[in-house]
Amino acid sequence: MGPLVINEIISENTNFLLAFLIGIAFGWVLESSGFSSSRKLAGIFYGYDTVVLKVFFTGAITCMLGLLFMGLFGWIDLDLVYVNPTYLTSAIVGGVVMGVGFIMGGFCPGTSFCGAAIGKIDAMVFIGGLFIGVYGFAFTYGWWEKLYLAKYLGEPKVSQSLGLSDGLFGLLLIMAALVMFWVAEWAEKKFPREEY
Amino acid sequence: MMRPLRLLALILIPMGIIIAAVPSNKTHPYQPSPEELLDEVNSRTQFISPDVVADMIINKDPSLQLIDVRSRDEFEKYSLPGAINIPSADILSEEYAGLLNQDIRMNVFYSNGTVTANAAWMATRQLGYANNFVLEGGLNYWFEAILNPEKPASTKSDEEFAKYDFRKSAGQALGGGGLTVQGADDQRSTAQKPVIKPAAKKKKAAGGC
Repeated sequence: MGPLVINEIISENTNFLLAFLIGIAFGWVLESSGFSSSRKLAGIFYGYDTVVLKVFFTGAITCMLGLLFMGLFGWIDLDLVYVNPTYLTSAIVGGVVMGVGFIMGGFCPGTSFCGAAIGKIDAMVFIGGLFIGVYGFAFTYGWWEKLYLAKYLGEPKVSQSLGLSDGLFGLLLIMAALVMFWVAEWAEKKFPREEY
Repeated sequence: MMRPLRLLALILIPMGIIIAAVPSNKTHPYQPSPEELLDEVNSRTQFISPDVVADMIINKDPSLQLIDVRSRDEFEKYSLPGAINIPSADILSEEYAGLLNQDIRMNVFYSNGTVTANAAWMATRQLGYANNFVLEGGLNYWFEAILNPEKPASTKSDEEFAKYDFRKSAGQALGGGGLTVQGADDQRSTAQKPVIKPAAKKKKAAGGC
Protein backbone atom coordinates (compact mmCIF):
# COMPACT_ATOMS: atom_id res chain seq x y z
CA MET A 1 0.00 0.00 0.00
CA GLY A 2 1.18 3.52 -0.78
CA PRO A 3 2.91 5.88 -0.41
CA LEU A 4 5.49 4.02 -2.42
CA VAL A 5 8.70 5.70 -1.24
CA ILE A 6 8.11 5.60 2.51
CA ASN A 7 7.15 1.94 2.38
CA GLU A 8 10.25 1.26 0.30
CA ILE A 9 8.26 -0.25 -2.54
CA ILE A 10 10.26 1.95 -4.90
CA SER A 11 13.70 3.36 -4.20
CA GLU A 12 14.58 7.02 -3.73
CA ASN A 13 16.20 7.01 -7.18
CA THR A 14 13.11 5.61 -8.89
CA ASN A 15 11.21 8.31 -7.07
CA PHE A 16 13.46 10.98 -8.61
CA LEU A 17 12.99 9.44 -12.05
CA LEU A 18 9.22 9.49 -11.61
CA ALA A 19 9.41 13.08 -10.34
CA PHE A 20 11.42 13.98 -13.46
CA LEU A 21 8.82 12.45 -15.78
CA ILE A 22 5.93 14.01 -13.86
CA GLY A 23 7.78 17.34 -13.98
CA ILE A 24 8.04 17.16 -17.76
CA ALA A 25 4.36 16.32 -18.02
CA PHE A 26 3.53 19.21 -15.68
CA GLY A 27 5.57 21.63 -17.79
CA TRP A 28 3.88 20.39 -20.93
CA VAL A 29 0.41 20.85 -19.45
CA LEU A 30 1.32 24.35 -18.24
CA GLU A 31 2.63 25.34 -21.66
CA SER A 32 -0.31 23.87 -23.56
CA SER A 33 -2.75 25.66 -21.22
CA GLY A 34 -1.06 28.91 -22.20
CA PHE A 35 0.67 29.42 -18.86
CA SER A 36 3.87 30.66 -20.44
CA SER A 37 2.20 33.97 -21.25
CA SER A 38 2.47 36.50 -18.44
CA ARG A 39 -0.48 38.46 -19.85
CA LYS A 40 -2.67 35.39 -19.63
CA LEU A 41 -1.50 34.70 -16.08
CA ALA A 42 -2.00 38.28 -14.95
CA GLY A 43 -5.53 38.12 -16.43
CA ILE A 44 -6.76 36.46 -13.26
CA PHE A 45 -6.14 39.68 -11.35
CA TYR A 46 -8.09 41.78 -13.86
CA GLY A 47 -10.81 39.29 -14.72
CA TYR A 48 -10.27 39.00 -18.48
CA ASP A 49 -8.70 35.55 -18.32
CA THR A 50 -9.30 33.14 -15.45
CA VAL A 51 -7.60 30.05 -16.83
CA VAL A 52 -5.13 30.05 -13.89
CA LEU A 53 -7.91 29.68 -11.37
CA LYS A 54 -9.66 27.02 -13.43
CA VAL A 55 -6.61 24.89 -14.18
CA PHE A 56 -5.16 24.94 -10.68
CA PHE A 57 -8.45 24.45 -8.87
CA THR A 58 -9.44 21.61 -11.19
CA GLY A 59 -6.03 20.06 -10.57
CA ALA A 60 -6.33 20.42 -6.80
CA ILE A 61 -9.84 18.99 -6.68
CA THR A 62 -9.01 16.06 -8.94
CA CYS A 63 -6.02 15.28 -6.77
CA MET A 64 -8.05 15.63 -3.56
CA LEU A 65 -10.79 13.31 -4.83
CA GLY A 66 -8.21 10.81 -6.05
CA LEU A 67 -6.46 10.70 -2.68
CA LEU A 68 -9.72 10.49 -0.72
CA PHE A 69 -11.03 7.63 -2.85
CA MET A 70 -7.71 5.79 -2.79
CA GLY A 71 -7.70 6.18 0.99
CA LEU A 72 -11.24 4.81 1.10
CA PHE A 73 -10.26 1.77 -0.97
CA GLY A 74 -7.23 1.20 1.26
CA TRP A 75 -4.74 1.78 -1.57
CA ILE A 76 -2.95 4.58 0.18
CA ASP A 77 -2.38 5.39 3.84
CA LEU A 78 -3.23 9.07 4.12
CA ASP A 79 -1.50 9.24 7.52
CA LEU A 80 1.80 8.67 5.75
CA VAL A 81 1.26 11.31 3.09
CA TYR A 82 3.49 14.32 3.64
CA VAL A 83 1.65 17.42 4.78
CA ASN A 84 3.54 20.69 4.73
CA PRO A 85 4.10 21.85 8.30
CA THR A 86 2.40 25.16 9.04
CA TYR A 87 4.42 28.11 10.25
CA LEU A 88 1.66 30.70 10.36
CA THR A 89 3.76 33.87 10.21
CA SER A 90 5.95 32.74 7.35
CA ALA A 91 2.91 31.39 5.50
CA ILE A 92 1.25 34.82 5.62
CA VAL A 93 4.41 36.82 4.86
CA GLY A 94 5.42 34.37 2.13
CA GLY A 95 1.94 34.44 0.65
CA VAL A 96 1.99 38.23 0.42
CA VAL A 97 5.48 38.28 -1.12
CA MET A 98 4.49 35.59 -3.59
CA GLY A 99 1.23 37.35 -4.52
CA VAL A 100 2.84 40.74 -5.02
CA GLY A 101 5.62 39.11 -7.07
CA PHE A 102 3.01 37.31 -9.18
CA ILE A 103 1.12 40.52 -10.00
CA MET A 104 4.30 42.51 -10.66
CA GLY A 105 6.19 39.86 -12.58
CA GLY A 106 3.32 38.13 -14.31
CA PHE A 107 4.69 34.70 -13.47
CA CYS A 108 4.84 32.29 -10.60
CA PRO A 109 8.03 30.20 -10.22
CA GLY A 110 6.89 27.16 -12.24
CA THR A 111 5.38 29.13 -15.10
CA SER A 112 8.46 31.36 -15.38
CA PHE A 113 10.54 28.27 -16.23
CA CYS A 114 7.82 27.30 -18.69
CA GLY A 115 8.05 30.71 -20.35
CA ALA A 116 11.86 30.62 -20.35
CA ALA A 117 11.77 27.20 -21.99
CA ILE A 118 10.05 28.68 -25.04
CA GLY A 119 12.44 31.63 -25.09
CA LYS A 120 10.49 34.40 -23.39
CA ILE A 121 12.84 37.10 -22.18
CA ASP A 122 10.51 38.44 -19.47
CA ALA A 123 10.42 34.92 -17.99
CA MET A 124 14.22 34.76 -17.97
CA VAL A 125 14.40 38.11 -16.17
CA PHE A 126 11.86 36.78 -13.68
CA ILE A 127 14.06 33.72 -13.05
CA GLY A 128 16.98 36.06 -12.46
CA GLY A 129 14.92 37.81 -9.80
CA LEU A 130 13.94 34.44 -8.37
CA PHE A 131 17.57 33.51 -7.82
CA ILE A 132 18.40 36.90 -6.30
CA GLY A 133 15.55 36.29 -3.88
CA VAL A 134 16.62 32.72 -3.09
CA TYR A 135 20.27 33.65 -2.46
CA GLY A 136 19.31 36.84 -0.65
CA PHE A 137 17.14 34.85 1.73
CA ALA A 138 19.71 32.10 2.19
CA PHE A 139 22.57 34.48 3.01
CA THR A 140 20.51 36.58 5.42
CA TYR A 141 18.69 33.62 6.96
CA GLY A 142 19.96 34.61 10.42
CA TRP A 143 17.91 37.82 10.31
CA TRP A 144 14.71 36.02 9.44
CA GLU A 145 15.07 32.81 11.42
CA LYS A 146 12.82 33.93 14.29
CA LEU A 147 10.11 35.15 11.94
CA TYR A 148 10.53 32.09 9.73
CA LEU A 149 9.94 29.63 12.55
CA ALA A 150 7.28 31.63 14.41
CA LYS A 151 3.77 30.30 15.17
CA TYR A 152 4.44 26.65 14.42
CA LEU A 153 1.12 24.83 14.29
CA GLY A 154 2.20 21.32 13.37
CA GLU A 155 0.54 19.81 10.34
CA PRO A 156 -3.12 20.71 10.66
CA LYS A 157 -5.62 20.12 7.90
CA VAL A 158 -8.38 22.64 7.21
CA SER A 159 -10.97 19.92 7.74
CA GLN A 160 -9.53 19.19 11.21
CA SER A 161 -9.52 22.83 12.26
CA LEU A 162 -13.14 23.18 11.15
CA GLY A 163 -14.11 19.92 12.87
CA LEU A 164 -15.42 18.43 9.61
CA SER A 165 -14.68 15.04 8.08
CA ASP A 166 -12.26 15.08 5.15
CA GLY A 167 -15.02 13.95 2.80
CA LEU A 168 -17.50 16.64 3.82
CA PHE A 169 -14.85 19.33 3.51
CA GLY A 170 -14.03 17.89 0.07
CA LEU A 171 -17.66 18.27 -1.02
CA LEU A 172 -17.77 21.86 0.24
CA LEU A 173 -14.55 22.65 -1.60
CA ILE A 174 -15.95 21.21 -4.83
CA MET A 175 -19.06 23.36 -4.49
CA ALA A 176 -16.94 26.41 -3.73
CA ALA A 177 -14.76 25.72 -6.78
CA LEU A 178 -17.76 25.31 -9.09
CA VAL A 179 -19.20 28.61 -7.84
CA MET A 180 -15.81 30.25 -8.44
CA PHE A 181 -15.63 28.83 -11.96
CA TRP A 182 -19.07 30.19 -12.66
CA VAL A 183 -18.12 33.63 -11.34
CA ALA A 184 -14.89 33.44 -13.36
CA GLU A 185 -16.76 32.76 -16.59
CA TRP A 186 -19.07 35.65 -15.84
CA ALA A 187 -16.03 37.90 -15.24
CA GLU A 188 -14.49 36.87 -18.53
CA LYS A 189 -17.63 38.01 -20.32
CA LYS A 190 -17.83 41.18 -18.30
CA PHE A 191 -14.21 42.30 -18.76
CA PRO A 192 -13.27 40.96 -22.20
CA ARG A 193 -10.00 41.95 -23.81
CA GLU A 194 -9.47 41.57 -27.51
CA GLU A 195 -5.81 40.78 -27.88
CA TYR A 196 -3.34 39.74 -25.17
CA MET B 1 -22.28 19.66 -26.78
CA MET B 2 -22.62 20.29 -23.07
CA ARG B 3 -20.80 23.28 -21.65
CA PRO B 4 -17.58 22.21 -19.94
CA LEU B 5 -18.53 23.75 -16.61
CA ARG B 6 -21.78 21.84 -16.50
CA LEU B 7 -20.02 18.61 -17.44
CA LEU B 8 -17.45 19.19 -14.70
CA ALA B 9 -20.22 19.82 -12.18
CA LEU B 10 -22.00 16.63 -13.24
CA ILE B 11 -18.88 14.57 -12.54
CA LEU B 12 -17.52 16.32 -9.46
CA ILE B 13 -20.68 16.84 -7.41
CA PRO B 14 -21.73 13.15 -7.29
CA MET B 15 -18.17 12.13 -6.43
CA GLY B 16 -18.07 14.76 -3.69
CA ILE B 17 -21.37 13.52 -2.28
CA ILE B 18 -20.11 9.94 -2.24
CA ILE B 19 -16.88 10.83 -0.47
CA ALA B 20 -18.75 13.01 2.04
CA ALA B 21 -21.26 10.26 2.79
CA VAL B 22 -18.93 7.31 3.39
CA PRO B 23 -16.99 7.12 6.63
CA SER B 24 -13.31 7.87 6.18
CA ASN B 25 -11.13 4.80 6.22
CA LYS B 26 -9.15 4.47 9.41
CA THR B 27 -6.15 2.50 8.32
CA HIS B 28 -4.74 2.55 11.84
CA PRO B 29 -6.80 1.17 14.71
CA TYR B 30 -6.78 3.39 17.75
CA GLN B 31 -5.16 0.80 19.99
CA PRO B 32 -2.60 -1.64 18.63
CA SER B 33 -3.31 -5.29 19.36
CA PRO B 34 -0.56 -7.29 21.13
CA GLU B 35 0.41 -8.85 17.78
CA GLU B 36 0.75 -5.46 16.14
CA LEU B 37 2.73 -4.15 19.06
CA LEU B 38 5.09 -7.13 18.84
CA ASP B 39 5.39 -6.50 15.13
CA GLU B 40 6.25 -2.87 15.73
CA VAL B 41 8.82 -3.73 18.37
CA ASN B 42 10.45 -6.27 16.08
CA SER B 43 10.52 -3.96 13.10
CA ARG B 44 12.26 -1.38 15.32
CA THR B 45 10.33 1.49 13.75
CA GLN B 46 10.21 3.27 17.10
CA PHE B 47 13.93 3.99 16.95
CA ILE B 48 15.21 7.35 15.75
CA SER B 49 18.89 7.47 14.91
CA PRO B 50 21.11 9.91 16.85
CA ASP B 51 22.06 11.57 13.55
CA VAL B 52 18.47 12.60 12.88
CA VAL B 53 18.04 13.84 16.45
CA ALA B 54 21.34 15.78 16.34
CA ASP B 55 20.30 17.38 13.06
CA MET B 56 16.95 18.41 14.54
CA ILE B 57 18.55 19.86 17.70
CA ILE B 58 21.03 21.91 15.69
CA ASN B 59 18.37 23.17 13.31
CA LYS B 60 16.16 24.03 16.31
CA ASP B 61 13.40 21.95 14.75
CA PRO B 62 10.31 22.95 16.75
CA SER B 63 8.65 19.59 16.19
CA LEU B 64 11.24 17.77 18.31
CA GLN B 65 10.52 17.14 21.98
CA LEU B 66 13.22 15.20 23.80
CA ILE B 67 12.02 13.39 26.91
CA ASP B 68 14.54 12.14 29.44
CA VAL B 69 13.01 9.13 31.21
CA ARG B 70 15.87 8.70 33.69
CA SER B 71 15.67 9.79 37.32
CA ARG B 72 15.68 13.47 38.24
CA ASP B 73 19.25 13.24 39.65
CA GLU B 74 20.61 11.83 36.44
CA PHE B 75 18.70 14.39 34.41
CA GLU B 76 20.20 17.24 36.41
CA LYS B 77 23.72 15.90 35.93
CA TYR B 78 23.45 15.70 32.16
CA SER B 79 20.68 16.04 29.63
CA LEU B 80 20.36 16.73 25.94
CA PRO B 81 19.59 20.32 24.86
CA GLY B 82 15.90 21.16 25.24
CA ALA B 83 15.00 17.89 26.93
CA ILE B 84 12.36 17.65 29.64
CA ASN B 85 12.40 15.08 32.42
CA ILE B 86 9.62 12.53 32.94
CA PRO B 87 11.01 9.69 35.09
CA SER B 88 9.83 6.39 33.64
CA ALA B 89 7.80 5.60 36.78
CA ASP B 90 5.65 8.69 36.16
CA ILE B 91 5.13 8.11 32.46
CA LEU B 92 1.47 7.10 32.84
CA SER B 93 0.62 9.91 35.24
CA GLU B 94 -2.34 12.06 34.17
CA GLU B 95 -0.14 15.11 34.31
CA TYR B 96 1.80 14.11 31.20
CA ALA B 97 -1.02 12.61 29.13
CA GLY B 98 -1.48 15.77 27.09
CA LEU B 99 2.21 15.90 26.34
CA LEU B 100 2.49 12.28 25.26
CA ASN B 101 -0.83 11.93 23.43
CA GLN B 102 -0.72 14.55 20.69
CA ASP B 103 -0.09 14.70 16.99
CA ILE B 104 1.89 17.88 16.57
CA ARG B 105 5.32 17.18 17.95
CA MET B 106 7.65 14.24 17.79
CA ASN B 107 8.49 12.96 21.26
CA VAL B 108 11.81 11.15 21.55
CA PHE B 109 12.38 9.16 24.75
CA TYR B 110 15.91 8.54 25.85
CA SER B 111 17.65 6.84 28.75
CA ASN B 112 21.23 5.67 29.26
CA GLY B 113 20.68 2.55 27.20
CA THR B 114 17.42 1.82 25.45
CA VAL B 115 15.69 -0.45 27.94
CA THR B 116 14.00 2.22 30.07
CA ALA B 117 13.14 4.41 27.09
CA ASN B 118 11.72 1.43 25.25
CA ALA B 119 9.58 0.52 28.26
CA ALA B 120 8.21 4.06 28.34
CA TRP B 121 7.49 3.86 24.62
CA MET B 122 5.73 0.49 25.00
CA ALA B 123 3.51 1.87 27.76
CA THR B 124 2.44 4.87 25.68
CA ARG B 125 2.03 2.77 22.54
CA GLN B 126 -0.24 0.38 24.41
CA LEU B 127 -2.51 3.33 25.07
CA GLY B 128 -2.58 4.02 21.34
CA TYR B 129 -0.50 7.20 21.51
CA ALA B 130 1.36 7.99 18.31
CA ASN B 131 4.36 10.24 17.63
CA ASN B 132 6.49 8.79 20.41
CA PHE B 133 9.91 7.44 19.55
CA VAL B 134 13.07 6.13 21.18
CA LEU B 135 16.59 7.45 20.71
CA GLU B 136 18.49 4.57 19.16
CA GLY B 137 21.23 3.30 21.46
CA GLY B 138 20.37 5.80 24.20
CA LEU B 139 22.83 8.27 25.70
CA ASN B 140 25.65 5.72 25.69
CA TYR B 141 25.53 5.47 21.92
CA TRP B 142 24.98 9.23 21.67
CA PHE B 143 28.34 9.83 23.39
CA GLU B 144 29.99 7.29 21.18
CA ALA B 145 28.46 8.32 17.86
CA ILE B 146 27.85 12.05 18.09
CA LEU B 147 30.15 13.45 20.76
CA ASN B 148 33.18 11.23 20.07
CA PRO B 149 32.77 9.81 16.58
CA GLU B 150 35.46 7.42 15.40
CA LYS B 151 37.11 8.17 12.09
CA PRO B 152 36.27 5.41 9.61
CA ALA B 153 39.07 3.39 8.03
CA SER B 154 40.33 4.84 4.77
CA THR B 155 38.88 1.90 2.88
CA LYS B 156 35.33 2.80 3.91
CA SER B 157 32.79 4.24 1.52
CA ASP B 158 32.22 7.95 0.94
CA GLU B 159 28.91 7.57 2.71
CA GLU B 160 30.67 6.50 5.90
CA PHE B 161 32.92 9.54 5.65
CA ALA B 162 29.98 11.88 5.05
CA LYS B 163 28.34 10.41 8.15
CA TYR B 164 31.57 10.90 10.11
CA ASP B 165 31.91 14.52 8.95
CA PHE B 166 28.33 15.21 9.96
CA ARG B 167 28.80 13.61 13.36
CA LYS B 168 32.03 15.46 13.99
CA SER B 169 30.52 18.86 13.21
CA ALA B 170 27.31 18.01 15.06
CA GLY B 171 29.32 16.88 18.09
CA GLN B 172 31.27 20.11 17.95
CA ALA B 173 28.09 22.19 17.89
CA LEU B 174 26.59 20.18 20.74
CA GLY B 175 29.61 20.58 22.99
CA GLY B 176 31.30 17.24 22.39
CA GLY B 177 34.95 16.32 22.52
CA GLY B 178 35.33 16.21 18.76
CA LEU B 179 37.81 19.09 18.76
CA THR B 180 39.90 18.33 21.82
CA VAL B 181 42.78 17.14 19.68
CA GLN B 182 43.50 20.73 18.81
CA GLY B 183 43.70 21.52 22.48
CA ALA B 184 41.90 24.82 22.86
CA ASP B 185 39.10 24.83 25.39
CA ASP B 186 37.39 27.96 24.16
CA GLN B 187 36.65 26.36 20.82
CA ARG B 188 33.52 24.96 22.31
CA SER B 189 31.96 28.33 22.85
CA THR B 190 32.93 29.54 19.41
CA ALA B 191 31.80 26.33 17.76
CA GLN B 192 30.12 27.17 14.50
CA LYS B 193 26.83 25.82 13.38
CA PRO B 194 27.90 23.00 11.12
CA VAL B 195 26.87 22.67 7.52
CA ILE B 196 24.86 19.53 7.46
CA LYS B 197 24.29 17.05 4.74
CA PRO B 198 22.01 14.61 6.52
CA ALA B 199 22.20 11.25 4.88
CA ALA B 200 19.55 9.61 6.99
CA LYS B 201 16.74 12.14 6.91
CA LYS B 202 14.59 12.09 3.85
CA LYS B 203 13.91 15.54 2.51
CA LYS B 204 10.49 15.74 1.04
CA ALA B 205 9.79 17.96 -1.90
CA ALA B 206 7.30 20.68 -1.29
CA GLY B 207 4.73 21.42 -3.95
CA GLY B 208 3.92 24.70 -5.64
CA CYS B 209 3.25 26.17 -8.99
